[in-house]
Amino acid sequence: MSEITRDMLMAYADGQLNTSGRAAVEAHVAAHPEADSELSLMTRQTNAIRALYGPATAQPIPSRLDPHRLALIANRRRWQSFARAAGIVLVLGIGIAVGWILRPLNDTGQAYDRLIADAVSAHTVYVAENRHAVEVASADSEHLSTWLSNRLATHLAMPDLSAQGLTFLGGRLLPAPETAGGRAAQLMYEDNTGARLTLYITPATGVAGPPYEALSSGDENALYWANGTFTCTIVGPQSPTTLKTVAQAVFAQLSPEHPPQDYQEL
Amino acid sequence: MVDILDEIEACVPALRRYARALTHDADRADDLVQDCLERAIARRSMFRPRGPVRPWLFTILTNLYRNARRADRRREEHVDLDAVPEPSTPAPQPGHLALAELGRAIQTLPLDQKEALLLVTLEGLPYSEAAAILDIPQGTLMSRLGRARATLRTLTGVAAEPHLRTVK
Repeated sequence: MSEITRDMLMAYADGQLNTSGRAAVEAHVAAHPEADSELSLMTRQTNAIRALYGPATAQPIPSRLDPHRLALIANRRRWQSFARAAGIVLVLGIGIAVGWILRPLNDTGQAYDRLIADAVSAHTVYVAENRHAVEVASADSEHLSTWLSNRLATHLAMPDLSAQGLTFLGGRLLPAPETAGGRAAQLMYEDNTGARLTLYITPATGVAGPPYEALSSGDENALYWANGTFTCTIVGPQSPTTLKTVAQAVFAQLSPEHPPQDYQEL
Repeated sequence: MVDILDEIEACVPALRRYARALTHDADRADDLVQDCLERAIARRSMFRPRGPVRPWLFTILTNLYRNARRADRRREEHVDLDAVPEPSTPAPQPGHLALAELGRAIQTLPLDQKEALLLVTLEGLPYSEAAAILDIPQGTLMSRLGRARATLRTLTGVAAEPHLRTVK
């Protein structure tokens, strides 16, 4: 009987033993009073725990714990969220459809506008710099031309505007989110009064738009033009007339082989 | 579908009893049971294991309670034993004081021992089912059970025994 362990006594008290197991424990307990008191202690604990918490089962069950009701609520909620999701999809669909229908008008209307805006903000930021106005100075003009040509994937000459009274300072590479290549070259010039002028040049965007456009924003004037090879936005405090003269010089040097239809109108 | 809702419904009284013993707080216990039922109902078609629903429901409830306790463990650490509310018990009787003492003793047990003790003694589950619910080997269950009983014996003291005997 020595193989009756404490675990077996506990299993007996917890009603876990089969008939032969129970018989073995009972025989052991009959011969060992200390095992008997151990066993009755465990049984008393169990009974006390049941007396303590058992009454909870006798209480009426609140309706919020009714599984049928909870299932109904869950169902309703699922339908509501499905309906809401369907509504969102519908509204999104309408929005996308409307956006698609209006797309050609908006895109051509805005792409070159944003490009001009980019050119103006780049101008504003960098002309204010003294030591860091350009990334590569005009002294290194050859390198600058090669580098920017590589980045823009098109040959880009550095226009000489000395005939217009403008000294070449240098240039830098800039992001151009509106174009396919995503890059633009900014070239900076300065006249003898210290007024600066920038060219913001990108490869042709392929987006339809007017061949040129002049606009004024605050102290700066901007002149945009595009041909089959480039777009160029000239920004500076100079008068629109001066900008036109500059544009003609730039145009002639950048793509002499592709004079635009309305070149003369500039 | 109707079938399993009925099966779940049949387990609600036992779930409430177990939850109340775990939390020692009637409102919190019913919140726990409601969470458990909602989860079970939402997943009844996908995750329900084969066989009876009772162990599945007890497993969900056990996990929910563990998560909730982890969330407010800091508060739990500072529980004053005297502040633990007494559970609703039958009308005062000779064993009442001893029962209240037992209730407080159970609340001081480590959670793993308390779970094992309540599933086996209060719910009367087979060791194998209780071990499966707690996701532990049966040997581990029995050792937790043994430790829980020994701790309770120390905490409630031998003097309480004559009173306990009267509630049998």
